Amino acid sequence: MIRLIAGEFHKLFTTRLWLWLLLGSMALTALYGSLLIAFANDPDTVTFPLSTAPGQQTLIAVAAGGANTLIAVLAAIGLTAEFRHRTATATFLATPHRGRVVVAKLVTFGIIGIAYAVACLAVVIVVAVPWLAAKNIDLSLTGNGIPGTMAAVVADVAIFALVGVGVGALVRNQVAAVVGLLIYRFVAEPIVTRIPALTDWTIYLPGQASSAIIRIALTNQELLQPWQGGLLLIGYGLAFALSGTYLSVRRDVT
Amino acid sequence: MGYKMVRGGDAMTASTLLPAPRVKRRTEDAGRVVVAGLSKSFGAVKAVDQLSFTVNPGTVTGFLGPNGAGKTTTLRMLLGLVTPDAGSATISGHEYAALPRPNDEVGAALEATGFHPARSGRNHLRVYCTINGYPQRRADEVLAMVGLSDAGRRPVGGYSLGMRQRLALATALLGNPWVLVLDEPANGLDPEGIVWMRRLLRQLADQGRTILVSSHILTEVQQLVDDVVIINKGRLVRQGALAELAARNAEVSVRTPQAEQLHAALAGAGFDKVRIERTGPDTLTVTGMPAARVGELAFTAGVRLHELTPARGDLEQIFFTLTSSANGGEPA
Repeated sequence: MIRLIAGEFHKLFTTRLWLWLLLGSMALTALYGSLLIAFANDPDTVTFPLSTAPGQQTLIAVAAGGANTLIAVLAAIGLTAEFRHRTATATFLATPHRGRVVVAKLVTFGIIGIAYAVACLAVVIVVAVPWLAAKNIDLSLTGNGIPGTMAAVVADVAIFALVGVGVGALVRNQVAAVVGLLIYRFVAEPIVTRIPALTDWTIYLPGQASSAIIRIALTNQELLQPWQGGLLLIGYGLAFALSGTYLSVRRDVT
Repeated sequence: MGYKMVRGGDAMTASTLLPAPRVKRRTEDAGRVVVAGLSKSFGAVKAVDQLSFTVNPGTVTGFLGPNGAGKTTTLRMLLGLVTPDAGSATISGHEYAALPRPNDEVGAALEATGFHPARSGRNHLRVYCTINGYPQRRADEVLAMVGLSDAGRRPVGGYSLGMRQRLALATALLGNPWVLVLDEPANGLDPEGIVWMRRLLRQLADQGRTILVSSHILTEVQQLVDDVVIINKGRLVRQGALAELAARNAEVSVRTPQAEQLHAALAGAGFDKVRIERTGPDTLTVTGMPAARVGELAFTAGVRLHELTPARGDLEQIFFTLTSSANGGEPA
């Protein structure tokens, strides 16, 4: 299994996609962070002032939003590329037990997710600390619950990588997997979660589970506890991966 | 193309770079490929139908049949990529998925398309070195063997079909396997490349490896293969030594003033499956009996011969006859 994981890293680092999506995640994080600080005085956009602990936690947590969708896309592409470019043949000849390939990808992209999260946290810190200092706000990285938020961001992005692998395993068609992920994240779930009548139910959706982990609500509804959100999101990832392995990955490679 | 080809005759040959596989604890089944009652349908189409054959170690076996005969599906079932509806396929006594280290035992080149276009050929090979725990330099060794050393660092997206075939073969050779399964490896190779591949495969077979190579063109592999397995419409048409196939189906034309007597002598010789055809007042065509035997029988019967000609280059015709649509599977 160690060699299999090493092989997945080797695959990932012999093409450039990981780099482009990492740069994209960092850019998105910088954008989200800048918008949050720039419009911090607007009472409609920010729930908490940036001088308070919840405000600062919200600011740090934008790193999750910057990285989690793109890591899921990277992971989904990592799996579906095997079928799109027909490397599945060589991969399954080397590892006939296809479930092991899926497990290796879960581990690999989970680790890459941690790296993406750390890089995006660095971005938001680099943007926020001097900017807030200029506004005479001291952003301490060790106080105000910030370490907990950073840990939550890392967990959230890593878990989203598992979801991406799972979606890729289930869908197998690369375009469908990527477009589906993007539409779900940016269009479908944001719309559904804004329907008040459904909030009892929508808190269990993947995006809301993610919000629960980092304790940032898009709306003012109650979310799950962070640990509940984390377990739920892991559950989504593993459920997709498991059903994908049996329903899709194990199908004939012709 | 700016890459230098390394031909079979050059310094880097199979024997220098690919030593015979390490002697492992070999069983009786080692290197043997056994296909038994294999069937697979895709929807209403029976791609492979109750197919059985055996491939022995140390031989090059041609797996032949027209396009759509079920060759690729059979090979993919043999390698665990396609699940059979019925029957089994084993290599060295195990189903592919049950082989402890499959890439060490079996090398397969199934298609010239299984590469990520942005990854270099060398990196493609190195990935599978990592997965199998082979040293990374092994990638450069097999690249040299297939003549791709100079192109190895370029993305596969820019490779020609012939170069992809070579890379597929290099991937198959990575684990220095006992058994090689190659699906249409000559596709896209230029005539020089085909000669090169023939030499390489012959060297590998001479080291005791099992080589199963599919083709839809018999003449493409006839100089290479010892045995043939011919299928049509998913069913076995003929299995055996190529030489035997050629002899059994060879046509011999005979010219003699005593055609009647010769006809009787040949017919009475007790050969099975011999066809004698009167093609003119003094000519006969004999199928299924070597020319030498016809001559001997004529001599014994005191028949004068004016001409005794074994037909040449008729393998393609035999192949065509065996796999023509009328011939659903019953040997001719």
